[in-house]
Amino acid sequence: MSQVVFSSWGGKVVDNRKGGEADLASLKIKLPEKYLNEGKIGAFFGWDGLLVMNRDVDIVALAAEYMKRVQEKYCCAKCSPGKRGTKVLQDTLARILSGHGEERDLTVIAEINSLLEQCKCTLCMTSAKPVQDALTHYRDDFEAYIRGERKPNPAKVYHDKVTAPCTDRCPAHIDIPAYVEEIKDYRFDESLASVRRNMPIPAVCGRVCPHPCEKGCRRGLVDEPVSIMVLKRVASDHEWLHHKEPPMLPGQKKGKKIAVVGAGPAGLTCSYYLLLEGYDVTMFDMLPEPGGTVAVGIPDYRMPRHLLRRDVEIIRSLGAEIRYNTKLGRDMSLRELKEEYDAVFLGTGAFKSKPMGVEGEDAGYEGFSTGGINYLRAVALGQPIETPKRVIVVGGGNTAIDCVRVALREGAEDSILVYRRTRKEMPAEPYEVDDADEENVQFEFLRNPTRLIAENGKVVGVEVVEMALGEPDESGRRRPAPVPGSEYVIPCDLVIPAIGQDPDLSYLEDGDYGIKQTRWNSIVTHGGTMMTDNEGIFAGGDCEYGAMTVVLAVGHGRRAARVIDRYLTEGKAYLDEEDAMEDIFSSLGVFDDNEDVGIIGGLHREHQPKVDGAERAQNYDEIELAMPESQAVREAERCLRCYRVGMVAID
Amino acid sequence: MVNLKIDGKAVQIEKGATILAAAEKVGIKIPTLCYLKKISPTGACRICVVEIAGVSKPMTACNTPAVEGMEVTTQSENLTTIRKQIIELLLVNHPLDCPVCDAAGECDLQDICYGQEVNRQEFEADNLSHEPIEEWPLIQQVPSRCVLCEKCVKVCHEVVGASAMVVRSKGDRAFIDTVDGKPLDCEFCGNCVAVCPTGTLIEKPFKFKARPWELSLTRTVCTLCSAQCEIDVNVKQGKIARITSVDGETINDGSLCVGGRFGYGYVASEKRLTRPALRKDGMTLETDWEGALSAVSEKIQNLKGEAGAAALAGLASPRLSNEENYLFQKLFRAAIGCNNIDSEARFGLLPATQILGKSLGLKGGSNRIDRITEAKAVLAFGDVTSEAPAVDWQIEKACRKNDGKLIVAGLRKVKLTKYANASLICRPGSEVWLANALAKLIVDAGQADKDYLQRYVENVDELYAYLASLDLDEAVKQTGLARELLEEAADYLGSAPSVAVVMASDLLRGTDAEAAVSAVATLALVSGALHGDIGGLFPLDEKGNTQGLLDMGVAPELLPGQKSYADSASVASAWGVTLPSDGKDAHGILEGIEKGEIRFLYLAACNPLASFPEAGRWRKALQKLDFLVVQDILASELTEMAHVVLPGAAAVEKSGTVTSFDQRINTLKPAVNPPGEAKVDLEIFAALYTHLSARPVEVDFSSLQSEIRQLSGLYTEVCRTDAAGICACNKEAFRPADKSMTFYPAQGGGVSKELELLTATSLYHFGTSTTFSPAACEVAESGYVALSPEDAQEAGVADGSRVKVTSSFGATQADVVVDNDLPKGLAFAPTNFSALNVQSLLSSSANRVAVKVAKS
Repeated sequence: MSQVVFSSWGGKVVDNRKGGEADLASLKIKLPEKYLNEGKIGAFFGWDGLLVMNRDVDIVALAAEYMKRVQEKYCCAKCSPGKRGTKVLQDTLARILSGHGEERDLTVIAEINSLLEQCKCTLCMTSAKPVQDALTHYRDDFEAYIRGERKPNPAKVYHDKVTAPCTDRCPAHIDIPAYVEEIKDYRFDESLASVRRNMPIPAVCGRVCPHPCEKGCRRGLVDEPVSIMVLKRVASDHEWLHHKEPPMLPGQKKGKKIAVVGAGPAGLTCSYYLLLEGYDVTMFDMLPEPGGTVAVGIPDYRMPRHLLRRDVEIIRSLGAEIRYNTKLGRDMSLRELKEEYDAVFLGTGAFKSKPMGVEGEDAGYEGFSTGGINYLRAVALGQPIETPKRVIVVGGGNTAIDCVRVALREGAEDSILVYRRTRKEMPAEPYEVDDADEENVQFEFLRNPTRLIAENGKVVGVEVVEMALGEPDESGRRRPAPVPGSEYVIPCDLVIPAIGQDPDLSYLEDGDYGIKQTRWNSIVTHGGTMMTDNEGIFAGGDCEYGAMTVVLAVGHGRRAARVIDRYLTEGKAYLDEEDAMEDIFSSLGVFDDNEDVGIIGGLHREHQPKVDGAERAQNYDEIELAMPESQAVREAERCLRCYRVGMVAID
Repeated sequence: MVNLKIDGKAVQIEKGATILAAAEKVGIKIPTLCYLKKISPTGACRICVVEIAGVSKPMTACNTPAVEGMEVTTQSENLTTIRKQIIELLLVNHPLDCPVCDAAGECDLQDICYGQEVNRQEFEADNLSHEPIEEWPLIQQVPSRCVLCEKCVKVCHEVVGASAMVVRSKGDRAFIDTVDGKPLDCEFCGNCVAVCPTGTLIEKPFKFKARPWELSLTRTVCTLCSAQCEIDVNVKQGKIARITSVDGETINDGSLCVGGRFGYGYVASEKRLTRPALRKDGMTLETDWEGALSAVSEKIQNLKGEAGAAALAGLASPRLSNEENYLFQKLFRAAIGCNNIDSEARFGLLPATQILGKSLGLKGGSNRIDRITEAKAVLAFGDVTSEAPAVDWQIEKACRKNDGKLIVAGLRKVKLTKYANASLICRPGSEVWLANALAKLIVDAGQADKDYLQRYVENVDELYAYLASLDLDEAVKQTGLARELLEEAADYLGSAPSVAVVMASDLLRGTDAEAAVSAVATLALVSGALHGDIGGLFPLDEKGNTQGLLDMGVAPELLPGQKSYADSASVASAWGVTLPSDGKDAHGILEGIEKGEIRFLYLAACNPLASFPEAGRWRKALQKLDFLVVQDILASELTEMAHVVLPGAAAVEKSGTVTSFDQRINTLKPAVNPPGEAKVDLEIFAALYTHLSARPVEVDFSSLQSEIRQLSGLYTEVCRTDAAGICACNKEAFRPADKSMTFYPAQGGGVSKELELLTATSLYHFGTSTTFSPAACEVAESGYVALSPEDAQEAGVADGSRVKVTSSFGATQADVVVDNDLPKGLAFAPTNFSALNVQSLLSSSANRVAVKVAKS
C-alpha cells in the first residue's frame, strides 16, 4: 500500500514530510496505488483536499494544472465568482509557476479561495479546497517559485474528471446534476439527453430504480434528498406525453457485427451505445418480448410495459435486430455466436430461483411454485397459471414483495409474506413494503419455513419456525436464529419461494470457452472492462454480478459497449480516462455523510401523486402517477449541484 | 404562510416565496443583478447574498425560499465584502467603453458598482472575451460587456419559447451564443435586449441614436395586432428612437414581439404621406386641407344629388381608433345618409363574431388575455404566434409553467406545435369534422358538465343528439388523424377543470369558416371553456383594432355596440336624423362599383388591394370609380389611383381608445406628431363632418366617448386611468344568462384533393405597415410561396425557384421556399407583401385556394 507523504483528505491533516509514517489503508482512504498500467499515482488533488504519495510531486505545478483544467474544462461559467474567480486563480498560479509571481499573489489566491465559497454550485467552490490546502501546507514551495528559486517539475501525466456524489453512487454514473438542472431550467428535452448519455431506458429507471444516488444526495444532509429518480421519469414522460421523436441517430456504419444475448437492461444498454457508434447489433432473447427481468419480473403496476416497450423501440429503431424466443445454449451456442460476430455481449440475467432448503421442496407437489421469478414471469406473459385463494410467499426482497402483490391481483384472498427477520431488515424498498401493507398483504415476520405440508401431492400448508434476532452479521443485520419447539403450520394453497435468483449459465457448460465463473455462479470479467477470459466475449448485468439492480446492469452495459468499441477499433480492451477515473472515484468515495453543508434546509422533498387504497390491487394500472412539471421544477430547485473535480498526478 | 424576520422586521409571506420577495414586501432592498421576476431564478451573480441565523454560509435571497422562523440579515461587513469582491470580479476585463456603450445611463452593472461603492479593482486575469458578434440581424452581441446573468437565455426560452440562445464554452471564455452557433435566426422579439442588464445585447436600430436620459417616454399601446401590448415610445427630438415596455405593470409584463419592438420604422418612412393631394386632369398635385376636403365634400354633395346617397360607400379600418371608427360610421350614416360601410373584418372576425354572438352571446373574446395562463388545457387553432405573439406567451405560460395541456390544431405545423401534447394537423377542409369529433368524444366520455349545459343552453338536447349522430370513423377519415390522437386530445380538454380555446385566422378565415366557428363554439361549450373565471374562448384577428371597429358598428348590419342595424330607431333619434334603410357590405360594394351603381368610395386607412381577397377584382373596380378618396399614412398603388389623398396619422401619433381581442379598452397617447401636414384621422373625419353638416363638429374626446357609451351600451366599465393614461380594463370573465346560449349544428364540408395555398400573416410582419419598416424587412424582406418537399418535387422546383402560382381568381410570381414542416398538399404564402399580392389569388370567402404551381 502507498505511503502517504501528506494528506488533508477527509478533514484531517497528516504530514509525514519530516518523518512519520502512514499508508492509505491506515487513513481509510481507498485510492488505488496505480493508475491502470500507466504508473503510480503520485498525488490526488480534489474537492476534499490533497493527497501526496510521492514527495517529489511539484505541488505548485499540480495546483496550477488543476485550476487550469477546472477553469477551462469544467467551470460552467454560470455564476460570477466561479467564472471569473477560477480564471484569476488559474492565471495567478500560472504566473507564479512561470517565475513571475509576487508575494501579493498569495493573498489574492487566498481571497479568491474564500470568495469561491459563494459559488452557485460546488464545482468551483470545492476546487478552492485543495488549492488552499496546498497554499497553507506547501507555502514554502510557492514562495520558492516567487523568489525564482524553482523551475516547474510537472508529473508525467495528469488525469482528471468531474463527478458528484450522486453521480458517483449511480452505477450508470449519470450526470445527475446536469439533468436535474435542465429540469429546473424547463429544458426537458436536454434533460433527457443528459440522462441518455449514460442510460438509455429512462422510463424504466425513472420508475423502478432503487436510486442509490439519493443516498448520496447532499441535500439529504440538509433536509431530504432530491427526488432524483422521479425527475428522470418527468424528463422521460415529457418526451412521451408530447409525442416527440427522440433525437438520436445511429452512428456511421462501422461494418462490424455484435451479438448481444439478452434484451434486458444490460443488453439493451450495451446495444444502444454500440448502435450510436455505428455497429450492427443483433439481440437474442429467450423471452417472447423485450425487457428481460424488467418485463417479466417487475409487475405492470410499477413499470407499465407499454413504456418499457417504448424505451426498447427507441433503441431498436436505431437499427438493432431482436430475435425473440431464442435461447443461448438451446437455439444457438456461444461458439456459433463467436464465430459469426465480431464480439459477443452476454447479458443473460439471473433467472434461476434459489432453493429454500426445506423439506418437501423437491417432491414435485402441486401448489409449490418453482420460484417467485417464475411466478411473476408466468403472470406477465399471460401463461395459464392459476392463483388460489391462499398464497404464501417466502422472502423479504423486492421479488417477494412483487409476488405477494401480484398474487392479490391474480385473485388471492390471502396473500401472506413469510420472512425470517423483521420488517426493518427487509432488503425490499421500504416504500414497496408500505405499498404492500396498504394493499392488505399479510406479513409473518420472524418466521422461517421448515417443511411443506402436503396432502395427496398437493400443498396445504407450510410449517414455519419462529425466529429470534441475535447479533448483527457481516451485512450489519441482526442474525435470525430459530426458537426451538416453536414450529406451527400456516395453511395455504400455494407456496412461492422468493429468496433470490442466480444466473443460469448452463450455456457455458461444455466448458471450452475458457470463461471463468465465480463461486456464486456468475461470470468473471476483468479490470472493469467487462471482458471475460475469452477475448471478444463480454458480460454484464445480473449474469456477471449476481442478481442486482437495473441500474447496475445499465452501467455494465454502457461500460461494455465503450470497451467493445475500443476492442474492435484498436484491438485492445482497455479503460479510458473517464472509465478509469470513474472507478477511482467509486473506490475513494465522493459522498461524505459527515459533511456540514452549512446552508438552510427546511424544504421538503416533492412526491409524485399516487393511487391510494387497497382497491388499486384489483388491477395492474400504474400506481405512481406523473409528477406535474411545475412540481418537478420546484423539486429540481432543491438540488445543490454538487459537482467536484478530482485529478491524479502519475509518476 | 411563513413567518420570518428580515433585519429585525417581522414578515409573513406565502409558502414557497423567496427571501427576496419577503424583503420586498417590507421595503427592504437587497441588491440584485441577475434577478428577473418573470423568469425562473438563476442565482448567477450571487450579489443578493444574505446571512441567516444559525447557518454558516451566506445564501442568495433570490432563490432561497423563506422558512418558518428564519432570521435574515441583509447588511453586514462580511456581506459588503462579498458583494464588493464579486462586483470587482465582474469588472475584471470589463471594457471601459461606457462612453459609447448603449447601456450607459441605464446599466445595472454601473448602478450596482455605484450603489455598492465599488471604486477599485484589484484582481487581474487574461482577457478571453469573445469578439463582438456583428453578423446577427437587428441585434449586436458584445461579449466583453456580459456578466452572464442568463436573463437573455431564459427570457428567450421561458417566456418567448424561441429558445434561440445558449451559454457557449466553459469558464471565462463562455459567452452568449445562438443554439447552433450560426447567426441569430429567431423570432427577433428583442426581449433578450430588453432584459440585458448591460450593453451586451444591443438593438442595432437604436445603437448610437440616443442616451437614455435624452429620451422622453410616452406610455401608449401597440396596435399592430389585436393583443394590444402596452408600450413606452421613446422619443428623441420628435423622432421614435426605440420602443420599450415595463415588466410588472403592463398586461404584457414588459415583453414585446418583433412588431412591437422593431416594427415602428414605418412611422418615419419616407413613404409617409405628408400633404393632402388632389387629382386634376390626370395629375395628382399637393394641395391644402381646405382644398382637399372641399373637393371631397363637394363630390359627396353632387353625387348624392345626382345619384342618391347609395352611390357612395366607405371602408374603414382596424388601424383606426374606436372614436375614429365611430365618427366614420356616423359621418356616413348621419351626415351623408349612406349605410354602404364595411371593412376587412368582413373576411374574418365579423362573421365569426356574429356566430359567436348568435350561439353564445359573445361579442369578442370571453375573458382577459392573462387569464389564459391558469388554464389547464389550451386548444390553439392556427398560427397564434404570428397573429398575436402576446397570446403565444400566455399559452406557453399556461402549458409550460403551469402544467396545462396544449393541443395545437390546424392545417400546418406552427411554432407552438413543439410544445403541444397533441398536434392535430388535419386535412384542409376537415376543420369542422375535427372540432365536432373532439366535442363528441368529450360528451361520450361523460366529461361535459351536463348541469352547466342544461342550465345555459336552450336546446341542449339537440346538441347531444347531434353529437351522438356524428360518425367518428368518418371524422377520422376526413381529418386524416388517428382516432387515438383525437381521443387523447379530447381527454385533455374534457378532463381539464379550465380550458382556453384560441382561434386564429387559419380557422376564422378558412373555407367553411362559419361552420368551423360554430363547431368550435360547441367544443368550447362542452369542454367548459366558457365556464368559470379561467380560460375562455378567444377569436383572434391579426389586425390591431378589429374588435373596436365591430364594437363601433362599422358594417351595414351593425350599429354601435354590435347591435342590429334593424333596430336603428334609437340611434337615429339620438343623432336627430333619419337613417338610410339598408346598406351594402364589402361584397356588395365591390359589385356595386362593378355595376356602376357605386361611384364614390372613401377608403379610410383601408387598402383592399393589399388586404382584401380578390384583390385583382378590386383593382379593376377601383379604376371604374368617379371618385376615390384615400385617407392613409403611406404612399401605395392606391394613392396613385386616388382622386383625393388625405394624409392620416399612425397610432403613435394620436389620442383615442382601441379595443383588444379580449375586449380590453386601451388608451392611445400621442408620442410624436404626424409628419408634415398630416392630420389625426379623427380630425379629418370631424372636418369633413363640418363641411357636410350645417354645424361644426368638434373633436372632444370626453363627449365622444360618452356618446359611444350611451349608444353602444359598451365600454361602461370604469377603467384604470393612471398617470400614464393607460387602462387595462379590469374586464370580468363572460357570464351567460340562463338558457341564453344556443347550439347550432355545424356540418363538415368536403376535403380538398388539390394543392391548396393557405395564406396568413408572416411572423415578422403585421398587415402591410411593417413592410415599410427597415428593421422588420431586415429579417423578412419579401414574400414567398412555401411548398412541402413532396409538392416541390412534383412541381419540379427547388428552394429559390421562381414560380408562377395560379388560382381561378388570379396569378402571381413568387420565389419558392421548401418547408419540411408543411404537409403534402398544402402550400403557404404570407399576406403582408404587396409585391407578392397573394390576395389576388383568393376568392372572396376564404384564406385558402386551390392553386397550380409551375416554374416561370
